[in-house]
Amino acid sequence: MLVSEQIPKEDLDYILEPFKEDNKEDNKQIISEKIIAIVRDAKGNIIDKREQKMKSLTQYYLALMSIPILGTYSSPTSTTATSILTNVLDLPSRQSVYNNYSADIIFDTSIQLGSGTQSFSPTLNSLASPISNGSGTGQLYYYSQSVLYTSNSISQLLIVSNNSGNTITVSEIGLMGTIYIEYYNSSNVYTQQPYNFLFSYDTFSSPISIPNGGSASFQIIITFSG
Amino acid sequence: MLVGSKVDYDISNLYIPKDVKEDIDYQKSFSATLTIIVRDKDGKVIKKYKQKSHSPTANFIGLMLPLTWYNTTGNSWTFTTTSNTTFTYQPTLKANGYGVAYPNNQNDYNTYIINIIVGSGSSSNPYNAYNLNAPISNGSGTGQLLYSSISTPTSITINGSQAYFIISQSYANQSGGTITISEVGIILNLQTENSISENINTGQVLVWYDALSSPISLSNGQSATIYYTFSVNA
Repeated sequence: MLVSEQIPKEDLDYILEPFKEDNKEDNKQIISEKIIAIVRDAKGNIIDKREQKMKSLTQYYLALMSIPILGTYSSPTSTTATSILTNVLDLPSRQSVYNNYSADIIFDTSIQLGSGTQSFSPTLNSLASPISNGSGTGQLYYYSQSVLYTSNSISQLLIVSNNSGNTITVSEIGLMGTIYIEYYNSSNVYTQQPYNFLFSYDTFSSPISIPNGGSASFQIIITFSG
Repeated sequence: MLVGSKVDYDISNLYIPKDVKEDIDYQKSFSATLTIIVRDKDGKVIKKYKQKSHSPTANFIGLMLPLTWYNTTGNSWTFTTTSNTTFTYQPTLKANGYGVAYPNNQNDYNTYIINIIVGSGSSSNPYNAYNLNAPISNGSGTGQLLYSSISTPTSITINGSQAYFIISQSYANQSGGTITISEVGIILNLQTENSISENINTGQVLVWYDALSSPISLSNGQSATIYYTFSVNA
């Protein structure tokens, strides 16, 4: 039986107490996050190159991480989802499905660029001013994104081009996530129900300008150093 | 098309960062902490221990890869169970596509945390670990610890920009001798399937592993509570 109970205060005080040790091994981070941006002009020449630490994962990314740790069910015998999935991600406690079928969950991620700025909060769920996909005024053309996995690292890559006729300035970047529940509904129709979240949010130390005709690549890298 | 060969070069030369510990000005975002509180037979705290938690396993990574990775590479992920058997997983977003089982009103395939398991061994390659090196079994016999039920969070706690959740489990030593804990892991009962309940793959998988920097010894009658704290922006 799994239980959710109060942690004794004396334990909790110690759990939340900052580390006092200054031991290199103990302070080794298990995950490092980076954002890399490379900007090219219309001729393909690199005109800007950035690399900075990603600082701001949201509670939604933490909730996503709870799936491989806590699972999706609240106990071995329960028929309801974990509290984090229902309370934080607002997923259904129990998906209604067609006779004798079942439901499953998967997720995907993508990078979104923006031209605004805002203060970070773990509950932030969108960019301040997202730059939409297209070739019109104020838009960037988003190419298909890719994800690589190498040596315990997950790297999301986005390439954009600017066909808008004017320079576009990028000042914020987010890792967007969509969690899907797949099932057949009561009418026996295949359904994929999406739930959208912001998994990370960062602003660039100084805005990145992409000239008309230029392109840029953006990477968000999460490394599990193991 | 404006994206040409030079951008292709960027794609094919994706930069993987150096270990972040070399960056002294790094403001961490994600962290995991392992805390152990030891109590005597009367419940009095006699030892507190805490260390950074370092080691998601390959099983964990496979569950954290987004759909795009599976779609663009065409690869599947191989999970290794605690019994050293394997099964593959390739999620797809389509009719009869595969994913991790989710609660529903017809057929449930419970995917849930089983234990924070403790052991008396040590693994030199946590990423490839599929079980603890020397698991301590549940019981009151020689070399055993009595495992309590695992405690799971009801939500994520937010404190300013920080967000975290804590899982915990307690272990009592009624074996008659001293037991030393030197490794800790998290075991998930994983079930992957498609939405018409075909080809269900099931296994108990180790998703997290830590060797303790300093092993914890429990004398007969003592107990320990292990807390894993997963946090962002701490």
